[in-house]
Amino acid sequence: MGNGLSRLESRFYGEPARVAALPKSRPIGGREAVESGLVTAAPDEFDWDDEVRLAVEERAALSPDALTGMEANHRFVGPETMETKIFGRLTAWQNWIFTRPNASGPEGSLLRYGTGQRAQFDRKRV
Amino acid sequence: MSQGIDYTERIPNNVDLHEDRRLQRALESWQPKFLTWWGDMGPVHMTRDVYLRTAINVGRDGWAQFGHVALSDYRWGIFLAERGGERRIAFGEHKGEPAWQQVPGEYRSALQRLIVIQGDTEPASVEQQRNLGATAPSLYDLRNLFQVNVEEGRHLWAMVYLLHAYFGREGREEAEALLQRNSGSVDSPRILGAFNEETPDWLSFFMFTYFTDRDGKYQLGTLKESAFDPLSRTCEFMLKEESHHMFVGTAGVDRIVERTAQLMVEHETDDVSPYGAIPLRTIQKYINFHYSVSLDLFGSETSTNVANYFTAGLKGRWSEERRTDDHVLTERSVFVDAVVDGEIGRVEVPALIGLNQDLRDAYITDCQTGVNRWNRLLTEAGLPQRLMLPHVGFNRRVGAFAGVSISPTGEVLPAEDWQARRTAWLPSDVDKTFVRSLMRPVYERGKIASWLAPPRNGINGKPFDYEYVHLT
Repeated sequence: MGNGLSRLESRFYGEPARVAALPKSRPIGGREAVESGLVTAAPDEFDWDDEVRLAVEERAALSPDALTGMEANHRFVGPETMETKIFGRLTAWQNWIFTRPNASGPEGSLLRYGTGQRAQFDRKRV
Repeated sequence: MSQGIDYTERIPNNVDLHEDRRLQRALESWQPKFLTWWGDMGPVHMTRDVYLRTAINVGRDGWAQFGHVALSDYRWGIFLAERGGERRIAFGEHKGEPAWQQVPGEYRSALQRLIVIQGDTEPASVEQQRNLGATAPSLYDLRNLFQVNVEEGRHLWAMVYLLHAYFGREGREEAEALLQRNSGSVDSPRILGAFNEETPDWLSFFMFTYFTDRDGKYQLGTLKESAFDPLSRTCEFMLKEESHHMFVGTAGVDRIVERTAQLMVEHETDDVSPYGAIPLRTIQKYINFHYSVSLDLFGSETSTNVANYFTAGLKGRWSEERRTDDHVLTERSVFVDAVVDGEIGRVEVPALIGLNQDLRDAYITDCQTGVNRWNRLLTEAGLPQRLMLPHVGFNRRVGAFAGVSISPTGEVLPAEDWQARRTAWLPSDVDKTFVRSLMRPVYERGKIASWLAPPRNGINGKPFDYEYVHLT
């Protein structure tokens, strides 16, 4: 990535030993992936179908713009200051997410918030 | 593993437990913990067996099978009301769509939260009532207490079934947590305030089953409307049992008022305490207390959470399908209670935001019917005194009236004045001690304590002097 960190170095930022401990050249099973912090959960065969369905549906219900913003937030790690938070993260949300119809349109989440009515999202690329 | 356990025999159910490996696995781990909890936190009383109603199926004869059962052998079952045809969602933005047989991912956490909050109240009341067996006024009442207790236990099972069957790993963790929180515990209390208050005596027990279980009836009524069909069907069946709990409360207070009225007439006095009965003013104070803490369970007059639940179809209104509006409510407004510039008034809000008060109003109307009933007993005895529900703003800790000192008749008072009159309105230590002094067990067949009249009818056609409980 632009800051020279790999994806795994971002995931385990500040814990280089955990990156070093990961096996480099063999596949990892579900249990090991949970133990090493690479996945959130590894449902067993009884739970698999339901957990996967729920996780996908849960995500799919969120505003696509907000998901883009959230992913960008997760991607960049490292020391933060008030300036980086304001001029990096907050302005990004203000310029690219809050201004879009899914947030500030007449049926967007900012106007619907607190009314008990659900925001309507445009899920097409707009 | 199953080890050839006969699930249908041990856990009566209509959810095909015998062929659901996932549910079996979850229950195999949870059931022993439930039994440990029941042993540690359930009724403290030595009985050989109790004449109990057990649900073994949802049919007309099956849901109420009577017989003497040892409490430890009670068979807690899992039942959903049976429904013919495809049910459709009756309200909110999914109105008209088929009801959900699975939890939609979008609503997983909200539904889980609703089920956990409902589930948490069920074992809580068992914990609150665990010592009452030691002071029951008759074998008939002792039996009713245990009936309420085992059914609250079954209602816990009902909520745990939903968590196990539909909410995966998180659901199993929440099901366990339901057994770990305890009523009144400092470290891990029950979720709702009224369920951390003690139920120290039988007057409190009858008031609790009248006022607080009735809140439960209204909460279940809103969940019965849910678009999530398994929740809806579970709550419908629970409501059937819940009505007995409220009967215990209504009839219990009836019998206390009847006894008090009888002694008032006989001795021409208001003060029946020397005759071992409970004076009307003390009964009124207990009504004031239990009614006001139960009103708090309905939450704030305005709530966006509840509005969101309604729009999503998770929780409807009381008698949703009998109402004649559009069942979407986005264009309507309602008036809700508010304190404006120190005066009690009403403000207009969008109908969706005011749903808590809508439910609370239905509850208040229902509560009034019991008071009318008790007042009829006073009229019949030729007495001029009357009981009443206090003003909705009296003694409130939640919502518009929290922090405002309002008398039972609805006057806003300076806080010091309210505090000075507190013991005239709410049970004082002296009142509680007096009521507790009357709580002496009566375990002889056909006998009854001095402070209440015997019931008009026994259970399941049995006479009052039937041996409802065999003590050890």
